[in-house]
Amino acid sequence: MTLYLLKRLAVLVASTAVAAVVVFAFMGLLPGDPAEIALGVNATPEAVAELRRQFGTDRAPVVQFLDWFGGLLHGDFGTSYVTSSPIGPQISDRLAVTTVLVVGGMIVALLVAVPLGTFAAVHHRNPLGALISAASQIGIAVPAFLAGILLVFVFAVQAQALPSGGYVPIAENPAEWLRGLLLPWLSLGLVQGAVLTRYVRSAVLDVMREDYLRTARAKGRGSTGALWRHGLRNASIPVVTVLGLQLATLLIGAVVVERVFVIPGLGDLLLNGVAGRDLLLVQGVVMVLVAAVLLINFVVDVAYHLLDPRLR
Amino acid sequence: MLSVDGLTVRADSAELVHQVSFAIAPGERVGLIGESGSGKSLTALSLMGLLPEGVTASGTARLGERDLVGVPESRIKDLRGRELSMVFQEPMTALNPLMRIGAQVAEVMTLHGRSSPEARARALDLLGRVRLPDPEQIFRAYPHQLSGGQRQRVMLAIALANEPRLLICDEPTTALDVTVQKQMLELIAEVAPALLFITHDLAVVASVCERVLVMYGGRVVESGPIREVFTRPRHRYTEGLLAASKLTPRGTRLPTIQGNVPPAGHFPDGCVFRNRCPQATTACEQVPALTGDGHAHACWHPAD
Repeated sequence: MTLYLLKRLAVLVASTAVAAVVVFAFMGLLPGDPAEIALGVNATPEAVAELRRQFGTDRAPVVQFLDWFGGLLHGDFGTSYVTSSPIGPQISDRLAVTTVLVVGGMIVALLVAVPLGTFAAVHHRNPLGALISAASQIGIAVPAFLAGILLVFVFAVQAQALPSGGYVPIAENPAEWLRGLLLPWLSLGLVQGAVLTRYVRSAVLDVMREDYLRTARAKGRGSTGALWRHGLRNASIPVVTVLGLQLATLLIGAVVVERVFVIPGLGDLLLNGVAGRDLLLVQGVVMVLVAAVLLINFVVDVAYHLLDPRLR
Repeated sequence: MLSVDGLTVRADSAELVHQVSFAIAPGERVGLIGESGSGKSLTALSLMGLLPEGVTASGTARLGERDLVGVPESRIKDLRGRELSMVFQEPMTALNPLMRIGAQVAEVMTLHGRSSPEARARALDLLGRVRLPDPEQIFRAYPHQLSGGQRQRVMLAIALANEPRLLICDEPTTALDVTVQKQMLELIAEVAPALLFITHDLAVVASVCERVLVMYGGRVVESGPIREVFTRPRHRYTEGLLAASKLTPRGTRLPTIQGNVPPAGHFPDGCVFRNRCPQATTACEQVPALTGDGHAHACWHPAD
């Protein structure tokens, strides 16, 4: 296990480094010179050259990359060419908000999917189980932003029960923080929950046909007891795969949901960066998102090993 | 001790097992033989209350004073694994892959009221009793670390854990290597209380059982003491089975029973074997009754 963990950790570090090269190279390919953008069309070539020197963009790309990457290693994302403020602190503030959003959405998805999916599997031969299947199908077809708009319409506009947007830091007012996040969590989580419900259902159905469940019943367990004791952990193995993929999707979904609910998260920062042509900021945010996805994959792989002794 | 009377198993409209009756006395070892699709496994599963979804059993089956058929699961599950145990055909998939062997053996005892430390200690004993090498290591192992034969021994340990009155084995050695089969059979014969042993392998029945039931098309077509049934078969199906299992001289055609077992629900009216039987006449359009004390058969044209 320890050896596996070390190997997997090495893969994580290496793939993050490769990702950094790709992100950096990709941003370099984009047209537009930061110095020219900052000074506008009427700037003299001398002024542009001077600013390039200040930004450090006159150096060889390899040197620029090493400078940037070296900074990343101790949390320095550089200084914005547009706002002249350090990027690192902005990203870390926004990352905290997005993490809360995504994790909350995932919890909502699990709270929906595990009970519903299991129920639908156990009752797959009667109408209620089929109804859950059909409902989850509809849920899959709804994009998260539409769910968000619908939720806002029902709970914020009609019922006036929850705020339609905005974000209050938890340190300021925990109750408002929670109220503000409920709708975003739901709009992210319900849609993902619908997808996950189908995976949970099929995983539980597969497990219900397994011989070891019959063995458990032959030992004297009822069918529900057998499923609880022997089925769910086995069913969780394929579900964890999907969960990992979904976390990555949620991260992307969060970009949109943050727009809908005016939440100052990474997605919001990314879109601002793009709109303001703040290349270094965009580069930093993209790097963080890529690293997050790699980290999620790492966690999924380790989770497999904890769940399944056959892999150890 | 076990008495089965008029056991019928059906799935939707198709009748898979028809009016099967037999009894097993304490300590008796009974074989149940027949080709695939003859209803052997369904008969056994209906005694355990483990029929697949959509398949139902009717008739009566009693173990001692307790009804096994037609009662809700909640009322018979305390019998399973305690009074009545079963070893299945496929050892590779019968154990939970995520749970250690020791825990899986101990589980059947804690479920029926033993304390956890006692169950664990006894589980270790049982692993030794089914002659697994190094029981302590097996106790801590996961199923994938064991061979098929070892896993089947574990299944046997689970089945025997609560000293049941009846052990049902459904083709317990079919999936095992030939070299392991013999050891497994000897072990079963040695440790089984009363035994219902299902197989299609006649040699296996002869080595383990005292009495045999021959099933075909969901019916018992012949029953009796092994020695008599195997040396003087009466039903033409049994006769064919025995002929097909004999060693034949080199260069001669292997004797077979002509045709195939029809799919469930497509057996002929009257005698279920008549479309494959070389002796069939119009008399066979009527269902023959299972007649005879001791050695019984259901055939209009029995062999001598």
